Amino acid sequence: MSTSSRSETAADTSRRPASGRGDSPTFWGRLSNAGPYRAVTDYVFGSTRRQFVLLAAFPIFWILFAHLGPILQMIRVSFLDSYPPSVGHTPHFTLDNWRTFFTEVIFLRPFFRTLVFSVVLTFATLVLVYPVAYFLSRHVKRDNQMLLLLLLLIPFWVGEIVRTYAIMILLGNTGAVNLILKALGLIEQPIAFMYTNFSLSFGIVYLTSLYMLMPLYSALEKIPQSFSEAAADLGAGPWTRFRRVILPLSLEGISSGCTLVFLISTGLYATPILLGGPSTTLFSETIAGFFHVAGDEWPTGAAFSTIMLLTALVLSGTFMKLMGALQKGGRK
Amino acid sequence: MTRNTRILMSIIYWAFVVYLFVPLVLMVLMGFKDSKFIGFPIKSWTLDWYIGVFRDTEVISVFVYSTTIAVASTAISLTVGTWISVLLAGRSFFGRTVIFGLTVLPAVIPGIISAISFRIFARLLGIETGMFAIIWAHAVHNVPFVALVVMARLATLPASHTEAAMDLGADRFVSFFRITLPYLKPALIGAGVFCMLLSFDDFVRSFFLGGYEPTLPVLIFSKLRSGMSPEINAIATVVLIMTAVLGIWAERSMRRMGKGT
Repeated sequence: MSTSSRSETAADTSRRPASGRGDSPTFWGRLSNAGPYRAVTDYVFGSTRRQFVLLAAFPIFWILFAHLGPILQMIRVSFLDSYPPSVGHTPHFTLDNWRTFFTEVIFLRPFFRTLVFSVVLTFATLVLVYPVAYFLSRHVKRDNQMLLLLLLLIPFWVGEIVRTYAIMILLGNTGAVNLILKALGLIEQPIAFMYTNFSLSFGIVYLTSLYMLMPLYSALEKIPQSFSEAAADLGAGPWTRFRRVILPLSLEGISSGCTLVFLISTGLYATPILLGGPSTTLFSETIAGFFHVAGDEWPTGAAFSTIMLLTALVLSGTFMKLMGALQKGGRK
Repeated sequence: MTRNTRILMSIIYWAFVVYLFVPLVLMVLMGFKDSKFIGFPIKSWTLDWYIGVFRDTEVISVFVYSTTIAVASTAISLTVGTWISVLLAGRSFFGRTVIFGLTVLPAVIPGIISAISFRIFARLLGIETGMFAIIWAHAVHNVPFVALVVMARLATLPASHTEAAMDLGADRFVSFFRITLPYLKPALIGAGVFCMLLSFDDFVRSFFLGGYEPTLPVLIFSKLRSGMSPEINAIATVVLIMTAVLGIWAERSMRRMGKGT
């Protein structure tokens, strides 16, 4: 008895927004009574197995085809001697594309530069953003938190190109920074910030800092205020409280923030072109170079992309494992 | 926490806000400069560059093109992402973890590699570079974000809601459209706007999969390569204002609905 009355009220509330017009048959009512519809649904919902297959078929197809397909095809092409296929030539299996990477030094340099850049900048972003996330989550009242967070999100919605351009205007020879330095009498000639490691690093940190903020904020926000109060009652000073309570509990946020920023910075393409110079070539520019010319360069580009992808995923996977172990170790 | 550290922390926060906003503000201001030459100081001001943007037929057609791509790819991402979430939420079956891992895969692949792999795959399928290829790449790239947001929302839907509908004679199909989907509305709006912004702002995929017609970021990029000009500032500012307004609107409407339920 009680079950039926409960379901009635639930159905009433759910019906209101969609139909609302008393007894006249709704679209859904007419559909449910239609003969062909009944025939199909009776068949489909007749067995749980059939139901599951119908629900799962499309998503599984999509994931295998659209998510995994491009990566697998890229790996396959990296082992071919020519692609796209040309008339009168069947592609052969070869290891040459992979060998190129390990034998030619001009490619190794941008590769390692990209890795070092990404690791260093990820760490720099963490150090820069942690106090901001800490302040927002622990020193601001709940109602204001959302407002202050929204303020930081506005620049985040603006795309990569527009923000990179903004950095170019800030750091250019006739840019704002040089103007201020000159006005203060600190310099005579403008400092060439642009097209250097500095401008590139500045731009990448500018682009990625919000991806670090969000995971850090949500991890820090979950730590109850009472934890550090308890530590204080037990005689821990501010630094000890941070090091022994807050920092270990925010490891999860640090781990996902760093992984996210690392993966994004290894994949940036427009920013190194616009903010970097000849001495700061990153691996993404090297990879792209193989695709600007049509013909036999695609397989080499595919091999290089695969190497970059594997390295990035293995590095970030290892990092996340280590952080996970650290978290577990701390909890004992 | 002592008073001094609190003050120091708030100074750090506001310095961070300044750091994020100053470059953008400078960029907006530079669009008002009455000279072709980019650089400070700005001695005389003009509205001509901004007026020019709205008169430039090329910019307007590129804008329409970008918007079409954003809307189409978002529609696909929302449909597929929701479907995957319904499959994965509250159900355990063989291979579920693998399916979940592959669902989020496009989100963790570095941008340039994702673009290259789509380019090679498009060649395999015989898809010409251009609008269709970009829509497909953006749709695939954005599915993980939809799936994650929708799954989080689905986890909070009480089972009794759909059970009640079924007790009253609705089948699974009807109960999905009349109970589950309305419940997911705030999540779908939020994820949808996020997808639109990602697609609208995307450079690397649009660049490698684009044909002769550029999207807005690709247009700004190619103009930048031939030299900086206040005209680019004006275009970029229009993009900036639109994305910010859309983002704030989505954030507000999501919060209002979150409170309502």
